[in-house]
Amino acid sequence: MCRINLNKNRFTYWLLGCFLFPLLSHASDPICIRDQAGNPIPHAYVKIGPDKVVPVDRTGSFDLPDNLEADQLIEVFAMGFDARQIRVREISELSSLRLTEKIGQMGEVVVAATRTDRSLEDLPMPVTVISREQIQETGGMRLSEVLREQTGLQVVSDHGAGLQMQGLSSDYILILLDGEPLIGRTAGTFDLDRISVTNIERIEVLRGPSSAIYGSEAMAGVINIITKSSREPFAASLESRYRSFSTMDLSGEASFNQNDWSVQAYLNRFRTDGFDLNPNVPGNTQAPFQATTGQVKLGKKSGKWEFRLYSRMYREDSDNVLQVIENGKGRLADMSSERRDVNLNPTVTYRPNEHWQLTLRSMTSLFETHSLTEMQEDGFVVDAQDFQQRYHRTELQLDRQLGNSQLLTLGMGHLLETVDATRYEALNRFDAGYLFLQHQWDPTDKWNIVTGVRGDLHSQYGERISPKISGMYQISEKFSWQASLGAGFKAPDFRQLLLNFNNASAGYYVFGANLVQEGIERLQSQGLVQQLLLDPSQFGALKAESSLAINTGFRWKLSNDLLFQGNFFQNNIFNLIETAPFARLTSGQNAFSYFNVSRVRTQGIELDWTWRLTSKLQVSAGYMYLDANDLDVLEQIDSGALFRRDSENRTQRVSRSDYGGLFNRSRHSGNLKISYQEPLSGINLALRAIHRGKFGFGDVNGNLILDDPSEYARAMTSWNLSLSKAFSNGVLLETGGFNLLNQLNQYEPSNPGRTLFVGAKVPFHQLVNSK
Amino acid sequence: MNKWNMFQAGILLLALSTSCEENTVDEPEIELQAVTVENLHAPGDLMDRSTGEITEVRPFRYFSLEDNKMVESREGDWDIGFKGTTLIVNSGSSGPGTAQASVVTGTFDEISTVPSAADFKSDGENGLAIPTGSGNGWYNYNPSSHIISPIPGRVLLIQTNEGNYAKMEILSYYQDNPPLAEVDPMTTPSPYFTFRYLIQPNGTITF
Repeated sequence: MCRINLNKNRFTYWLLGCFLFPLLSHASDPICIRDQAGNPIPHAYVKIGPDKVVPVDRTGSFDLPDNLEADQLIEVFAMGFDARQIRVREISELSSLRLTEKIGQMGEVVVAATRTDRSLEDLPMPVTVISREQIQETGGMRLSEVLREQTGLQVVSDHGAGLQMQGLSSDYILILLDGEPLIGRTAGTFDLDRISVTNIERIEVLRGPSSAIYGSEAMAGVINIITKSSREPFAASLESRYRSFSTMDLSGEASFNQNDWSVQAYLNRFRTDGFDLNPNVPGNTQAPFQATTGQVKLGKKSGKWEFRLYSRMYREDSDNVLQVIENGKGRLADMSSERRDVNLNPTVTYRPNEHWQLTLRSMTSLFETHSLTEMQEDGFVVDAQDFQQRYHRTELQLDRQLGNSQLLTLGMGHLLETVDATRYEALNRFDAGYLFLQHQWDPTDKWNIVTGVRGDLHSQYGERISPKISGMYQISEKFSWQASLGAGFKAPDFRQLLLNFNNASAGYYVFGANLVQEGIERLQSQGLVQQLLLDPSQFGALKAESSLAINTGFRWKLSNDLLFQGNFFQNNIFNLIETAPFARLTSGQNAFSYFNVSRVRTQGIELDWTWRLTSKLQVSAGYMYLDANDLDVLEQIDSGALFRRDSENRTQRVSRSDYGGLFNRSRHSGNLKISYQEPLSGINLALRAIHRGKFGFGDVNGNLILDDPSEYARAMTSWNLSLSKAFSNGVLLETGGFNLLNQLNQYEPSNPGRTLFVGAKVPFHQLVNSK
Repeated sequence: MNKWNMFQAGILLLALSTSCEENTVDEPEIELQAVTVENLHAPGDLMDRSTGEITEVRPFRYFSLEDNKMVESREGDWDIGFKGTTLIVNSGSSGPGTAQASVVTGTFDEISTVPSAADFKSDGENGLAIPTGSGNGWYNYNPSSHIISPIPGRVLLIQTNEGNYAKMEILSYYQDNPPLAEVDPMTTPSPYFTFRYLIQPNGTITF
């Protein structure tokens, strides 16, 4: 069967090279195609004999034509489900036919990987899909709580809940909302707690560099969050969860579909008291905060045209107390901060025929933060920070289907970004243009190749060419091998370019690369510079960080109910940007700027094993081995130039076996999940054990690298349980908990310990219908 | 006040001098001893944290390696001076003497001679002989923990006022030489230097 297809979501009879079976005469009652939970599958189709195809109607039903031979073979297909073969004799006695979902979300459509719709199992690169059901099962409220349960993903607390993928930190992971990039990072971290999960339909996790289609930031991978789109004529529901630490999540949704119009509205309110892991220190570990998320999606189809307008807003307020130490005396200060995020995303799609598709889209975003720290005693303003980022992108994408085996995608876009912040001078503007080309090709039934290249032209860091090639070979029906080789890059961020910071008390300066020339001249004119440490010709020439990566692995479907997947990855990153001193000042302190200095290599293996024991019980296990090293540190160790101190402060030479790699990376991590679903009673149970192996939290012995047992935080396993019951009228009640064994680790400030929750979901439209 | 301590480090020159030849007669060697100085308190200048202005300038604390004792005045016969994280030698812009220093990489024990590559400098307009700033000279500043730690493997070679060579290693910046894991930069008193040094009184470059 053909795998490349522009209009994956539509009925695809033409692709099969078949013609529609016209007017059918009825031989029996309609037969309904259902999933295991008993819901009709309206996108199923039935193939009778070699060349007759019957679609099912909106209720998932079809009529079997008469005059069929009793042992005629019938095949039932539906995207996302294993195909089923049955004889007419058997089927005519049934009123419904159940299909089994493809294991491991293999049948899901993935958009992020190629920017076209393709089934997960046909993608020659490592991709996973987190389904609506899996999101529901976690019982989580914010995106971090869903992603941390996935193999190979870690959530690390660093200026917010940041994701770590393939050993690379949040800075190098692109986050998309319905295919469009989300902005707003603090110290490089995209805070996953900004995203509420109740309106998420599915999450696509794409591993490995994807700069060949997305440009900057897509170095470790891409997370694409796809929000719900209801197909019901009318739907409205209310959903709420309440849990420990006075944490409350309330969501309301309403949608409407008629005459090719669709409207979808979503509102979410979240609040928490936060928690405190260290009561001896004033202030909370996690500050109390409230957040509101709103989303409105409008859509209209009109013949060959489709219009969409998506908009989203987010607002968050938090308060905390901190202690400011001055001359050995601690004084309390109040800190309040606010975050706002607004975006607007219109899209127009034109499909003149099945061979062409044109998409014009844009994304306009605003991200703002304000924070204020005031002394409690006298209201003295210790610190006031404002940050405002505006982002606008316009993109045109052209898809051209060439025969049944090739799909060509051409994209071009323009990007405009401005930033205005307390620590940056004036308003700063960046412009960029880009062009990408992608070719998806199935040369034979067994081969599947995707090649792509993207060129970026940026006002700041010049031009970049990012190629990528991925291929998959289907050794048998059950086993396929894939490999992809790609380049990634990350443009210098605002702070690295624009920071203008002077730590008055310590007497040092930090200049962004754009300001270093100006800064050094100013310091020189003030007579503060004692010696330049670097050649001034190096100043200001900050290049993008870049990587070359390989991902290779297999999908092994031992049976319809047993799937084993593996992926080996290696990311080689050059030109990593770090601060380095460029001038020594007369005060004895240094002036710093940002330079391309470091090299890092991360490599490892991800393994996933999914086993459906019965239609009700599924067990899955995941494991990741990770090795992440600073190559310059390795070089120093090899040349015998790296030392450490023992507990008596004596100096010893560091050897390779002492070196533990980059901080905050667990060499071993994994998960075990058991899911029990009973379609008839609506009872669902999900038990998960999420293990994070020991990891380095910071330097203790003075050499700034990870090389001592005392520098590791211990491993921990979080046992999470969710229980839910769905009633026939659609009402769902749930309860459960995270970290049931209450394991705490002071180096994981995002883990509050045992958390219990209850929740309910009320779908009003179903209640009305069932009366 | 400061307390002084002699420390038997037992560096045997014998072990370093090769004696493969059958007929060589071992010359009587003097066993050089490393000296450990504990808790040399050398507070830095007082500063207004909000403006960065220095409100009280404090003096350097001067130390003679030759005599293993503090020296009261800048004009005296001292070799090395301490204030905050800044280390000076008695020459050039810092003092009337001729002391010089060079920063080399290695462990204290394995540095048996002054390497020919060692670049001895006086303090001067173009910087101090022992460079200041994190990572440049003798210490690292960890910006996440705020701990000042002597860089492991950095050895200071000092030519004293009298012209003898000494090797020196800073062990701690905090009172009573605690293991770094026990240092809380907010509460552990600093700067209290603990360092060890070994001086070759015969003017040669071997230790």
